[in-house]
Amino acid sequence: MHTMKKIFFPALFVLLAASCTKDLNQIPISSATTATFYKTPSDFIQGVNAAYADLRGYPDRLLNLSEIRSDNIYGVSVAVRDWDPINDFSSGIASNTYVEEGWNTDFNGIFRANTVLDQLSRNGSNVGSANLATRLQAEAKFLRAFYYFDLVRYYGKLPIVDHPMTVTEANKLKQSDVTALYDLIISDLQFAISNLPASYTGVDVGRASKYAAEGLLAQVYMARSGPTYGIAGAGLGLSEWTLAQPLLDDIIGSGLFAFNPNFANIFSYSNQSPTPTGNKEAVFDVMYLTGVSGTASTYGATYPWVLTPSGYFTTLKDTKSNGSLEIIPVSQDLVSDFDSTDLRLHATIYTAGYTNAGSTENRPFFKKYLDVTKIPTTSRFDWGINFIAIRYTDVLMMKAECILNGAPGSQTTVDSIVNLVRTRAGLGAMTGVTLPQLFNERRKEFADEGSRWFDLQRSGQLLAIMNNWIGTEDVQHRINPVVANYVIYPVPQSQLDAAPGLYTQNLGY
Amino acid sequence: MKSIALLQRGCVLSFLLFLCLFSFSQQNFHVSGKVLDETAKPFGNVTVTLKGTRTGTSTGVDGGFELNVFSGGDVLVFSAVGYESREVRLNGRHDVSVSMKISGSSLSDVVVVGYGTQKRANVTGAVATLKADAFDDRPITRVDQALVGQMAGVTVKQNTGIPGKAFSIQVRGSGSISAGNEPLYVVDGMPLTNNSSNTGNGSFVGGNPMDNINPNDIENIEVLKDAAAAAIYGSRASNGVVLITTRHGKNGKPVIGVTGYAGYNEASKKLQMLNGQQWIDRATEMINAAYLVKYGSAGATVADDAATRAALIGLAPGQVNVQYMLDPRWATPGHPGLEFADWQSLIERKGPMQNAGISASGGSDAVRYYMAGNYARQDGFIKGVDYKEYSARANVDINASKILHFGIAVMPSYSITDDPGVEGKDNIFHQALSMSPVQEDTVGDFPNIGKNAQYLWSNSTNGPLGKLTYNIGQTKRARTLGTIYGEVQLYKGLVFRTTVNVDNVNSNTSTYVPYITAGSIVARTFNPTTNPNLTAATSGTYSNYRRLTLVNENTLTYNTVMGEDHNLSLLVGQAYNKDRLDQMGITSVGGFTSASIQTLNAAANIGFTGNNLSSQNVLISYFSRVQYAYKHKYLLSASLRRDGSSRFGANNQYANFPSVSLGWRMTEEDFLKGLPVVSDLKLRGSYGVNGSNNIGDYDIPTLGSYGYVLGSTQAAAIGQAPNVISNPNLKWERSQTYDAGIDFGLFNNRITGSFDYYNKLNTQLLLNVPVPEVSGQQFALQNAGSVRNIGQELEITSRNMIGRFEWTTSINVSHNTNKIVALYGNQNQIIIPNGFDVTDNIQRVGSPLNSIYVVKMTGILTQDDMDKKVALYGTGETVGDPKYEDMNHDGVITEADKQIVGHPNPNYTYGITNVFRYKGFDLSVLVQGQSGGSVYSLLGRAITRTGQGFTDNAPEFYIHRWKSPSDVGAGRVSKAYSTFGFVANTDWLYSSDYIRVRNITFGYNLKHVIRVSAVRSARLYVSAENFFGHDKYYGGLNPEAANTTISSNSAYPEAGDYGGLPLPKSFIVGLNINF
Repeated sequence: MHTMKKIFFPALFVLLAASCTKDLNQIPISSATTATFYKTPSDFIQGVNAAYADLRGYPDRLLNLSEIRSDNIYGVSVAVRDWDPINDFSSGIASNTYVEEGWNTDFNGIFRANTVLDQLSRNGSNVGSANLATRLQAEAKFLRAFYYFDLVRYYGKLPIVDHPMTVTEANKLKQSDVTALYDLIISDLQFAISNLPASYTGVDVGRASKYAAEGLLAQVYMARSGPTYGIAGAGLGLSEWTLAQPLLDDIIGSGLFAFNPNFANIFSYSNQSPTPTGNKEAVFDVMYLTGVSGTASTYGATYPWVLTPSGYFTTLKDTKSNGSLEIIPVSQDLVSDFDSTDLRLHATIYTAGYTNAGSTENRPFFKKYLDVTKIPTTSRFDWGINFIAIRYTDVLMMKAECILNGAPGSQTTVDSIVNLVRTRAGLGAMTGVTLPQLFNERRKEFADEGSRWFDLQRSGQLLAIMNNWIGTEDVQHRINPVVANYVIYPVPQSQLDAAPGLYTQNLGY
Repeated sequence: MKSIALLQRGCVLSFLLFLCLFSFSQQNFHVSGKVLDETAKPFGNVTVTLKGTRTGTSTGVDGGFELNVFSGGDVLVFSAVGYESREVRLNGRHDVSVSMKISGSSLSDVVVVGYGTQKRANVTGAVATLKADAFDDRPITRVDQALVGQMAGVTVKQNTGIPGKAFSIQVRGSGSISAGNEPLYVVDGMPLTNNSSNTGNGSFVGGNPMDNINPNDIENIEVLKDAAAAAIYGSRASNGVVLITTRHGKNGKPVIGVTGYAGYNEASKKLQMLNGQQWIDRATEMINAAYLVKYGSAGATVADDAATRAALIGLAPGQVNVQYMLDPRWATPGHPGLEFADWQSLIERKGPMQNAGISASGGSDAVRYYMAGNYARQDGFIKGVDYKEYSARANVDINASKILHFGIAVMPSYSITDDPGVEGKDNIFHQALSMSPVQEDTVGDFPNIGKNAQYLWSNSTNGPLGKLTYNIGQTKRARTLGTIYGEVQLYKGLVFRTTVNVDNVNSNTSTYVPYITAGSIVARTFNPTTNPNLTAATSGTYSNYRRLTLVNENTLTYNTVMGEDHNLSLLVGQAYNKDRLDQMGITSVGGFTSASIQTLNAAANIGFTGNNLSSQNVLISYFSRVQYAYKHKYLLSASLRRDGSSRFGANNQYANFPSVSLGWRMTEEDFLKGLPVVSDLKLRGSYGVNGSNNIGDYDIPTLGSYGYVLGSTQAAAIGQAPNVISNPNLKWERSQTYDAGIDFGLFNNRITGSFDYYNKLNTQLLLNVPVPEVSGQQFALQNAGSVRNIGQELEITSRNMIGRFEWTTSINVSHNTNKIVALYGNQNQIIIPNGFDVTDNIQRVGSPLNSIYVVKMTGILTQDDMDKKVALYGTGETVGDPKYEDMNHDGVITEADKQIVGHPNPNYTYGITNVFRYKGFDLSVLVQGQSGGSVYSLLGRAITRTGQGFTDNAPEFYIHRWKSPSDVGAGRVSKAYSTFGFVANTDWLYSSDYIRVRNITFGYNLKHVIRVSAVRSARLYVSAENFFGHDKYYGGLNPEAANTTISSNSAYPEAGDYGGLPLPKSFIVGLNINF
């Protein structure tokens, strides 16, 4: 008996030890992992879809960092809000929420695009169809270029990341010259143009097409053609108007898109899904859907109310709060720029004033995407309207701009494009349209679409126009003078802190 | 079913195996004898055990006992609570008589040390003990509540006023940033799962280990504080280990115990807010100021009446603009039509509380048993907040033979917590503080509820009393702890033990907010075109979790005495620990379809909001320990544990946790024997390494779901992408502690105590470090950084008076400082992101953890300041606004002027207990407090913000605000009407110092009057909790409150106070009778 015990127990210990160790390798029960994913075609499609998902904050960012920065908004508020330093050109904005958000979201989108590109190169055979694999690769490259172009216009010099990185690698990757960055953007877009379809059908409608890539590449060439302002920003002072123009002509000649004769209809909730089945003005859309997300902003949009005060919604119907906490008013300068008969004025800006809780508010605000019959009942994060990222009217206007900058074409073509736009707005025709007139027309046509700050960058008149505007608009003397360094934003503080010494801060911040 | 499946995994077969293997046996050396007390009277209920075994019995009423042991060379141990335990070597005798001495020192107590017990005299680590009699008579519903103020180095924070909710405990400061600071709890040997604990909002979302555990079932509590003592629990011990021993039966006739108390509780503190008239004064001042600013150039004056103002503003007749116009009734005597409401008083009440329990225990040589049932109820001091708990406990210990023992224990419980959402930002208590105290008298106490409209000058929140009345928030939690063990003596002194423990927690929470307490009157009013469906504004949630922990432990222990001088104790063991969590939750979308149904089947839609998640982890451990004493003089203890956790990267699943500690009982040396002053003196020194694995269950690069909208018929398209950066090298967070201690007894142990110094260094922290976003993520989990805690602890017990009148004082004081030694790479600081645009928290190398980092307010701006052009915040500051310190001397106040102004952890915590006894009376008083910490009150953002509107109420000290250059007030509060905005600054910073009389209990032994022999003991007592106290938190109610997630990044859990309840103060009368 004793002997048996002496042998048995040590043996039992060993047995127990051996039988349990494999239990230490636990696999997540409720999450997929990179090891178990990327096996079927739909896995890769989902991987690309996730890269699209980072587009969802794109319009909000345009409003916060382009509209508010520009002469379209005079937004000094009662309380100090995050948009104030953007609007008043404070120098200490490196940790500003909006400045941080742009960098983080765009690089996250690049990471997702890189992840799926990496998986396609290693496990692409799992896609089954070479055509589909190539299309997905082209979509991912389009998105990577899209995010990088968004970044370079806001921040200038950036680290170039073209594959998924470890933390150690990321901690060593320095910023590159804007020129090197453009090389990646241009080669990605050229690949996309060669490999993306002209259009999609069925469930794929809304993906980036060849023409979306052409439109984006045209914007890239035009941005490069803008002046440098002596800083490392998006403008390189190159004259690439002739490279941009054929791309625009290709879009126009495709016959897939059309100029919508009714301005308000372009932003109508009933004119949604993009070309070819729906909104012919939309060369590329960021798409949203109401009614599925619930309280989370998974599929619905927030941008329709970003520049609209919540008090306005309260007046309409106080169920779920919508809108910004305070009014971010449209500048008087912009309002008075509109001819009183301009149909775009009231389609773009709410000027009628409203009374909320006994308080009267008359300052105007943007309402281009608002339809008060479409206020979501469940959540303010759940508006159902697409955002047109590349608009056909813009393609036409860009073409006119290229011609005025020396690309082939006549003044007549320029005038006819501008007059097409003016006629739709209920305005008289012009002849001999100049560049400043073209930019002024763009300001009114694309107000609330986030184009203004980049137009100012490209026009070369940014400093003059902004400082002149401050002189007349800023009755409260809250806005600082605009200097060349402020053409771009600072590198976010979180990035400087994450890897001390790795990045150099943009001058002036 | 799951547990059965787990059992079959091959890890826990040993228990069944050995039951079959061993028949009953053999050695029979019969011993009998008698035990006497100090006065030579027979002493019953003394435990008699064979040393190194569980073989034992207890004495009868006549003091007699009988026992069979192995041989005449064995040693018997006699022990009884309050008496020195004695060891007697038989030396062949069959008859042994022993007399017991009242314990002058806790040194003779037996201490639970993890996988065994040890005499306190021989303990070489830092271990603190709390016995049940310290909290038996207190009106507490939780075990963690019992620990407040009782032990040096154990800081217990009561961060909520809701009954039944968990406390937060820190042993020797906090050493971790992301991986939690709560200790490991072990109940009767079973380590309870410490889920990632404090989740950043002050509550324990996946449950707290002490939930539903009835304090009445607890015999004593031990806290292993230093690494050497805790190292036997290795990978989970870096925050200390709390060992809880429950009551078990003893040999003897059945004892039936009946306990019960009844009383009430109410709020211990009120935050004085402006009353109706004071609010009107302030509102009038602010509205007039706004009116002058806006219309002054058009000729407006403060004296303008409503009609004049309306005309100037351009309002149609009958219209009112509350921003610029006053309510004429404010100035009318008697305020006709208005009611002044004190919202705090309106929602509070005296809540009854009661507790009733019955227990039966007893035993014979063969079987010992203990069973108890308990019912506890506490109606909170806030209307609608209640707690009920039903619990039971049964355990049976069986001596199947001299060498074979087994037993089973089960502890089922069920609790119901009603809390309609009282604490936290925008919740009911915050709203009760903020709500305008002036309301229309037509709506009673229910403004903006149901068909009642909002008073025009009031804030738009729905009346807090209405929300308490109609909203529902209920958590029902069922928990069963079960243990089964078997123990066999293989050879004299050699014991094999195996245990299987199961902990099953099932909790579900439902909330319901009817439309009548939501939104504005417009939304609550039916309108066939614009508002046809009223219940669209009704909302609800339902969530559930189930946590199942299975632990199997197998140990071999060997105890022997070699010669007279060498005491040796050896332990080897192995453990398997598996923990699984299953969660689900659903939320209504688009309101409800019915006003009469409250479950979510009446919700319009729940489709896209449901979630269902599961996760599990496994821990495999091997451990060993040696304890050696030479002549009870030189003591050594060393342990080694090896743990493997599934939570870690493939490259580092296993780690070793060694410890060693030494002790020297100097009073056993000849040169100290017979000294008149020093009766006991022991020096201790230890070093040990502990770990923490308190991170998520998986470190595999998982994918997150990121959908997008696609299709000609737009539809949700699924997208997935990695959401973490994997780190295959991830390993344990490690803490190493040096501890030096001294235990002493003076004047024949009239004064006993201990002093400890420790130096604890946490390294390779499981830290979510900020990484460049080019990696695709903002944070990545790395082993980086280190934090050092240094502290001193003193515990002293003095029996000031003995004899007919007894007076004993126990004091514990602890001091702790901590400092971040390093962060990741060359990072110097991490500013904790904040969801409330007032970032206030920083982790900086060289500073304490979670330092408060804000702009310093230095006073109120005078005209002289303006003339000197002192730095201003923004562009709108004028005379009467706050003056801030320009830290970087750039001439303007910005976020860059922030500085470290404090830290949340107190420097000193202390507790003092005085016990007095005279004849049958006893009185005990516990005073407890802390000092040196700060609280940055986010509640201030709601009630004391600069630029705040007139509607939200402010604290009463606002009457001492700056009103004019000639009436500058008390210097703390700037002028009421300001438009420059706000910045996170020291105006919300308060000291967290407090001192509280936690408990006063006065009792009487009824045996002096009830002389019925059937009644063994009877005691009547009254107990008052939190009746007196003082704190310096003038902007809130509880300086330890934590109820709102402040950090917007879950990797840096930071909870703050945004409307936490005061602590309850309670008064009860209780009766305990044993038959």
